[in-house]
Amino acid sequence: MLKAESVRKVFGTTTVLDGVDLTIQPGEVVSILGSSGSGKSTLIRCINGLEKLDGGRVTVDDFDVSKPRELAEARKRSGTVFQLFNLYPHMTAVQNIALAPIEVLKRPRAEAEAEARNLLASVGLADRAEAYPAQLSGGQRQRVGICRALAMKPRYLLLDEVTSALDPEMTAEVLSILAKLAAEGTTMLFVTHEIEFARTISTRIVFLDKGKLLVDLPTDQFFAPAGGLAQPRIAQFLTKMRKD
Amino acid sequence: MRYAEFTWFDLVLLAQGLGVTLGLFLATSLIGLLVGSAWAVIRFYRVPVLTQVVTFLAELLKNSPVLVQLFLIFFGVPAFFRINLTPVDAALITLSGNTAAFVYVIAVSAIESIGRDQVEAARVFGLSRWQVLRHVIAPQALAFSIGPLTGLLVNQLQVTSLISVIGVLDLAKIGNILNLRTLKPFIVWTAVGLLYYLAAKAIAYLGARAERRLRAHSAWKGL
Amino acid sequence: MRFDLSILLPHLGFLLEGAVLTAQACALALLGSFVLGALVATAITSASAVLRRLAAAYVDVFRNIPFLVQLFFFYYGLPELGIYLDAFATGVLALSIAGGAFSSDVIRAGILAIEPGIIEAAQVSGLSRAKTFTKIVLPIALRTSVRPLGSVFINLILTSSILSTITLNELTGSAKIVASDTFRPFEVYFVLLVAYAVLTWAVSIGIGLLHRRLNRDMMEQVS
Repeated sequence: MLKAESVRKVFGTTTVLDGVDLTIQPGEVVSILGSSGSGKSTLIRCINGLEKLDGGRVTVDDFDVSKPRELAEARKRSGTVFQLFNLYPHMTAVQNIALAPIEVLKRPRAEAEAEARNLLASVGLADRAEAYPAQLSGGQRQRVGICRALAMKPRYLLLDEVTSALDPEMTAEVLSILAKLAAEGTTMLFVTHEIEFARTISTRIVFLDKGKLLVDLPTDQFFAPAGGLAQPRIAQFLTKMRKD
Repeated sequence: MRYAEFTWFDLVLLAQGLGVTLGLFLATSLIGLLVGSAWAVIRFYRVPVLTQVVTFLAELLKNSPVLVQLFLIFFGVPAFFRINLTPVDAALITLSGNTAAFVYVIAVSAIESIGRDQVEAARVFGLSRWQVLRHVIAPQALAFSIGPLTGLLVNQLQVTSLISVIGVLDLAKIGNILNLRTLKPFIVWTAVGLLYYLAAKAIAYLGARAERRLRAHSAWKGL
Repeated sequence: MRFDLSILLPHLGFLLEGAVLTAQACALALLGSFVLGALVATAITSASAVLRRLAAAYVDVFRNIPFLVQLFFFYYGLPELGIYLDAFATGVLALSIAGGAFSSDVIRAGILAIEPGIIEAAQVSGLSRAKTFTKIVLPIALRTSVRPLGSVFINLILTSSILSTITLNELTGSAKIVASDTFRPFEVYFVLLVAYAVLTWAVSIGIGLLHRRLNRDMMEQVS
């Protein structure tokens, strides 16, 4: 179970996250929606330990991310896919994916690289295994990024606006892979702008506004007139997003 | 009688050496700045033949050891041209030339960053070549290059120590003399090193102050 | 007096020996500076304040004191401590320490230029700080630092001429002997100047090629 309790994060004089509570059970697919600056990415960065908490607690399977010794265990259980891919530029796709399993999980190189090739094949990049990030398109790089996160066999997959830097065609190819993962039962926490996609594959939708969690509802209730849409802020947000 | 111990007079010697070092440094830096800037202007106006000569000379001076340049001027030139050169003469010529070569590179890049369109605009308004140089190019180039120039001057201060090899009584040479007399290298060379270090820091500080002053004048003050 | 290069011919073998010595000293010093530079750059970007300050002090001191003074410090000072190194070893040591200060600055800049997102990706996948540094940070920083490190190397080659002052018969030292044997210092030092310039030019070409080769895979494809 991934648990965020009363998470608070302050940058300078701005309170970006103000007492956010969120619990994720294995098998759930949760999407975090909200406008820019609502704290969505910051929440993910607090969960994987990239940001230090100014209040509250985050535990991944009871490992507290604020405690240095437990952070390593927590990080083994979660995988992150980034908006800007963040692939290692000096390594091939296979090497990118196999690095952490070799160094952190102490897998033998041959085994880790074979695993990596399998993962690449499952996202349709079997023939680009020896390519360097500079030789790949944006969509291909993000697919490698997904494989890299999956290589550690994480319990929870964290995805931070992973299609925001892609054009529509590449966005579609990445979303189809994510839909497949969700269907296979992978626990996922999304931060996304793709409302329709969120609606299709999520089991739950969470809405953040100015650092506060406004609603946390199962998907169909979120989009119901009596449920999520009853909140003026949410209705306003959804209408604006639909217009774009 | 041989004084193998340190005396108070040694402080005077060190001060003298420092004086010679700083004097030659200032003189050669000034000459080098003028000559190097002149070379950069020649290149900017694409003067035929001279531009190529200047570029070749600068490349040669930048990419060869200063010690060899010193030997060429101090030992080579008098032998070949049958003229007399004191160590200080040779030091002045060599260091000025070497500094000029590096100033040339900095000045060229600074002038290039100004852009020819400004110069053309000024010419269209009727300013003479000299006025353009003085009022448009020089102030901007100076503000742009103060940073790299300061770094260069700090480096050229270190380079002056080489003139001790051809016999100039600079700080390094005094260090040699004291070392051979007292046979206490740690004290002597630490003291000499400290003096060079402080001088370098002084130059860096003055350079930073000058940069702040110049940039303050060119800062956008708003409407 | 005529400019006669033919008088150098009988001495070419001797000069070549000196050149080989220069090459050996520079190659070793390059290795030394590189290792030292990487270590110091690591220390300067580390989380430990003590390490940072020590490393910064080392760089500050050895960049603001003339190489000649550093060289004499080691050459005359080490025997006082009971460490007896020959001129070659002392020269390589001094060059490595001085070169290390300059190359650490270059590598530090390369480290700081790495996109933070890449480090974050390594961190969240559970990589330890040490592994992140050796597998991600250093390989990337070194690839991007090839050109400026090449400049440091070229500087090393030029600075190696100063080793002639501690009786090492590298290229400049050998040339000095030939100049006094032939009584033609002008020709000797002129050729020496050109030889160094050609050597550094060749090295800079090599650096360019090395840069392209190492960064081949990291350069964006034009689609």
